[in-house]
Amino acid sequence: MEFLKSGFKTVLGATETGQQPSAAETVEKLVERVISSTLLDDRRDACRALKALSKKYRIEVGAQGMPALIQILKHDGQDSEVISYALDALCNITAAEEFDEEADNPAVSVNVGEQFTEMFIKVHDHVTLVMGYLEEYDFRVRRAAIKLITTLIANKTRDLQEIILVSPMGVSKLMDLLTDSREVIRNDALLLLIQLTKGNSNIQKIVAFENAFDKIFEIIQSEGCSEGGIVVEDCLILLLNLLKNNSSNQQFFKEGSFIQKLSPMFNITPETEEADWGPQKVSNIHCMLQVVRSLVTPSNQQQVISSCQKVMRKSKILDSLCSILMGSGVPPDILTETINTVAEIVRGDKENQDQFSKVMAPSYPPRPVIVVLLMSMINEKQMLELRCAVLYCFQCYLFRNEESHKAVVETLLPSSEAEGSSHSIGQLLCAGLFSTDSLANWFSAVSLMHGLVDSVPQKEELLRVLLATSGRSRPVTLLEQCTNLLQQDSYKQQSKVGLLMLLCMWLAHCPIAVKTFLSTNGTMAYLTAQISANEHDENEYLIQGLCAFLMGICIQFNDNSLPNQKRNDICQLIIKRIGQETFCNKLSEVSRHESYSRACKQPQIRTKSASDLLLDYEYCKLYKGLEALIAKLVSGFDVDGIELTELTLSSEASALVAQYKGIIRDLDGQINTLQQSSKKLETKNVELEHKLSQIQNLNTQLSDQNTLLKAQIGAVQKGTTTSGDEAAVNALNAAQFQTNLYYAENMRLTQELESLRKRLENEVQLSKTANDELQKLQKDQEDLLELLTDQETKIARYEEQLRTAGCLIENDDDSENNGDTKYNEVALNDNLVAAGLL
Amino acid sequence: MSYAYLFKYIIIGDTGVGKSCLLLQFTDKRFQPVHDLTIGVEFGARMITIDGKQIKLQIWDTAGQEAFRSITRSYYRGAAGALLVYDITRRETFNHLTTWLEDARQHSNSNMVIMLIGNKSDLDSRREVKKEEGEAFAREHGLVFMETSARTAANVEEAFINTAKEIYEKIQEGVFDINNEANGIKIGQQHSPTNPSLPGAGNQAGSASSGCC
Ligand SMILES: Nc1nc2c(ncn2[C@@H]2O[C@H](COP(=O)(O)OP(=O)(O)OP(=O)(O)O)[C@@H](O)[C@H]2O)c(=O)[nH]1
Ligand SMILES: [Mg+2]
Repeated sequence: MEFLKSGFKTVLGATETGQQPSAAETVEKLVERVISSTLLDDRRDACRALKALSKKYRIEVGAQGMPALIQILKHDGQDSEVISYALDALCNITAAEEFDEEADNPAVSVNVGEQFTEMFIKVHDHVTLVMGYLEEYDFRVRRAAIKLITTLIANKTRDLQEIILVSPMGVSKLMDLLTDSREVIRNDALLLLIQLTKGNSNIQKIVAFENAFDKIFEIIQSEGCSEGGIVVEDCLILLLNLLKNNSSNQQFFKEGSFIQKLSPMFNITPETEEADWGPQKVSNIHCMLQVVRSLVTPSNQQQVISSCQKVMRKSKILDSLCSILMGSGVPPDILTETINTVAEIVRGDKENQDQFSKVMAPSYPPRPVIVVLLMSMINEKQMLELRCAVLYCFQCYLFRNEESHKAVVETLLPSSEAEGSSHSIGQLLCAGLFSTDSLANWFSAVSLMHGLVDSVPQKEELLRVLLATSGRSRPVTLLEQCTNLLQQDSYKQQSKVGLLMLLCMWLAHCPIAVKTFLSTNGTMAYLTAQISANEHDENEYLIQGLCAFLMGICIQFNDNSLPNQKRNDICQLIIKRIGQETFCNKLSEVSRHESYSRACKQPQIRTKSASDLLLDYEYCKLYKGLEALIAKLVSGFDVDGIELTELTLSSEASALVAQYKGIIRDLDGQINTLQQSSKKLETKNVELEHKLSQIQNLNTQLSDQNTLLKAQIGAVQKGTTTSGDEAAVNALNAAQFQTNLYYAENMRLTQELESLRKRLENEVQLSKTANDELQKLQKDQEDLLELLTDQETKIARYEEQLRTAGCLIENDDDSENNGDTKYNEVALNDNLVAAGLL
Repeated sequence: MSYAYLFKYIIIGDTGVGKSCLLLQFTDKRFQPVHDLTIGVEFGARMITIDGKQIKLQIWDTAGQEAFRSITRSYYRGAAGALLVYDITRRETFNHLTTWLEDARQHSNSNMVIMLIGNKSDLDSRREVKKEEGEAFAREHGLVFMETSARTAANVEEAFINTAKEIYEKIQEGVFDINNEANGIKIGQQHSPTNPSLPGAGNQAGSASSGCC
């Protein structure tokens, strides 16, 4: 402070002793001097004093001094010192942060820096003026100019970006700063560019065009890559700004072979211990992972994603990341982000998915990395973020890959080789499904669900999965177990949501699964009870919605092969027990729930708390595709089981149509069953024929043997008569005995053959009758259809007549004619009835 | 993919003359019949061969609309080649060439190769600018000239490749300072551990084809 006071004395001359001038007065005098003094030295001193006051008295200096400072910038360009004071002073005035010096000044509001920024940039030339000083080589001037521009951009990003874009070569000039050999300048320039490139794709592209990628990598390498300091992190943040959501730059990055340059940065030696993961290194690696993700994140253009994924495999980035996954002592947040990154590198790329599935963890015994990850996912003690990342990774591994779907389901099937080991993917997921940790239930259900997306064969395979139960005689199927769990009160809401999503995915587009589900005891009763219950909890609403959707799927994908559980039966159940409107209302609960919009947004799993994990991205896609269909289907049924589509027909006519429809539907059903039984008979036929030919073969073989033996006997008999050898007689006896045996066997087989032949004939006959009947029915149906069309034409004609008649009556305004009209109507109805009887 | 050289191009000219279509035809061999206004700048790339050497072209397709002029100006400096395009069926796009050329000359480095292109040669019936006029303009201003059609792909390859040939010749003559990246030229990386020395100018660098990065 002493220094300051003496400073003022030299500037202001001697003040009257004992009377301290107020800050405002001092600033006023200084400003006066800056503006009017003809001596450069004077102006420089006044400027220096203003700068010194600009922290503590920023309002005074800003309000009164800004024009003076701008004037200095305009006219005193040849004196670096005064320029640097002016720039520094402006920088202090516009700073966003509060200075210690002004902490006790109540007049300073939070956004005073922003207000001064606004004042300053109102005239665009002021910014251009400051930009001009970037070209000044003098260290103080250049650095002060960089700082001021950085501050201005930070405060008024949009405005500054526009001003810089239109100022000639503005961005290019800023980019040139990166090549300054003075590290301090270069580092400040990095900070400036980070601010400048935020959310402006035009600027991002120009910066990239100006070889930013090359320059950034040069700096990163010179600073020691991932082991480097904060400058490396700054470089990576800038890189991230340039790549995020900018497909043009992403393509340029890929085409410029820069992905390959990222690769060595992930080479973290395997012997790395915890101690080596300093906070700066953690930040650096974290940023690098985000850079990788910015190239392959699912929201990017598909073409960019696939080409980047390929390069990441070839340049061994995927390999390096997998070894980080396996490394020891990796900090949890790095591990989590690495899992997310691996996830996006493999998503939808068959070769990458395949490579990932083959990575083995260095455990004893060695296990696939996927298995080790899933173990963490179902482990209650693991961090939520990590568990979510594993789920995401597993989903990405399954995404659009029929083979990986198959691999997952296979580990659950009884014949599977992995049966012995208790740590196959399937076993882990089952363990998770039946665990007491509701989050593990949810994670496992969703994981399994992703193995079924768009693959009907796997849905059918999964029906075969049996679970061994302790103390029970019969093993239960996985599907049964799922429905059991659903009905247990101890199974928590979140777990039920997971399970219901799994069931929906399982049954959708898979009539066999629907049938199996419907034939499981109590399922329909449970769903009906759930949907019609009166609940008040938001998550209960969601569960009701999921139940309604599941029931809808049971209608939509019902093949009408179960008596009493056909489409119509379930719709009747809805009409009588729930009500169509209530049903549709409940159905839409799913999309009304807040987790729906969250899950729809992106495949990544973003959540802050475990209880927020409810709906899943793929599930929402399924729901979106089917909801309207189901709602239409259900509300289209009426009490008599008729789909109300012919709203234009009179009630008699539509009843008639409905009658025919009913008949046709029944015939359809019959045809279906007949077709199925005919198919069954055909396969049986083939089987029997096969057996027959086998037996015939055996038969010839046996008779050959028989002949041979007979010949042998003959020979032996001859031998016996000549030599009378005891041994020969014995052999003969034995042979004869054997022959008898063969003979008996032969007889038996011939008989069996005969009976099989008969059975075959029977079956063929049966199949023929079935086919005949089928044809007859088809013919009947055709006739009926014809009749129906005929009826419809007739009805139309009658209606036409009716209408004409009505017209006539209206024209003829005579009350007596009303009777006639009635008569006409009755006659018409009679006609219709007559037609119906036809 | 390894390359001996990398050249940066820009494509400039009035809106609707077919700049984006030319790029798309060159990189993807496709034609886009609807005018998809370019906003700002778009990037494309392709590898070509000249004199047995792999040359990577990185191309920035700029927006022709006046509103983007200040943005597109940022791309002149740092480009080794420019395709200046007009539409032979719209005379005003030809009349604007002088302005474009002034702009380019003012902001680019003096060695930038400019190729003048009269596009939409397939629409001969609607032609408003004679081929001779284009030739004369090019001669007068020291440009290379070609008529192209982004629709039929006629001369499209040639336009991009001939520009590259011009640049390549200038490098051989030593006109370009290839170590200054601001010129829009880069020498291919040679990542062989036995030969860590920096790549020199010209022939030696051109023969490199091993580096994968
Ligand atoms: N017949 C014909 N039409 C063309 C040709 N080239 C472009 N077009 C059409 O001209 C229109 C404009 O083409 P663009 O390539 O989008 O024009 P641009 O120069 O990129 O326009 P801006 O992006 O606004 O600067 C489109 O409808 C094209 O289909 C051509 O060679 N022949
Ligand atoms: Mg365009």
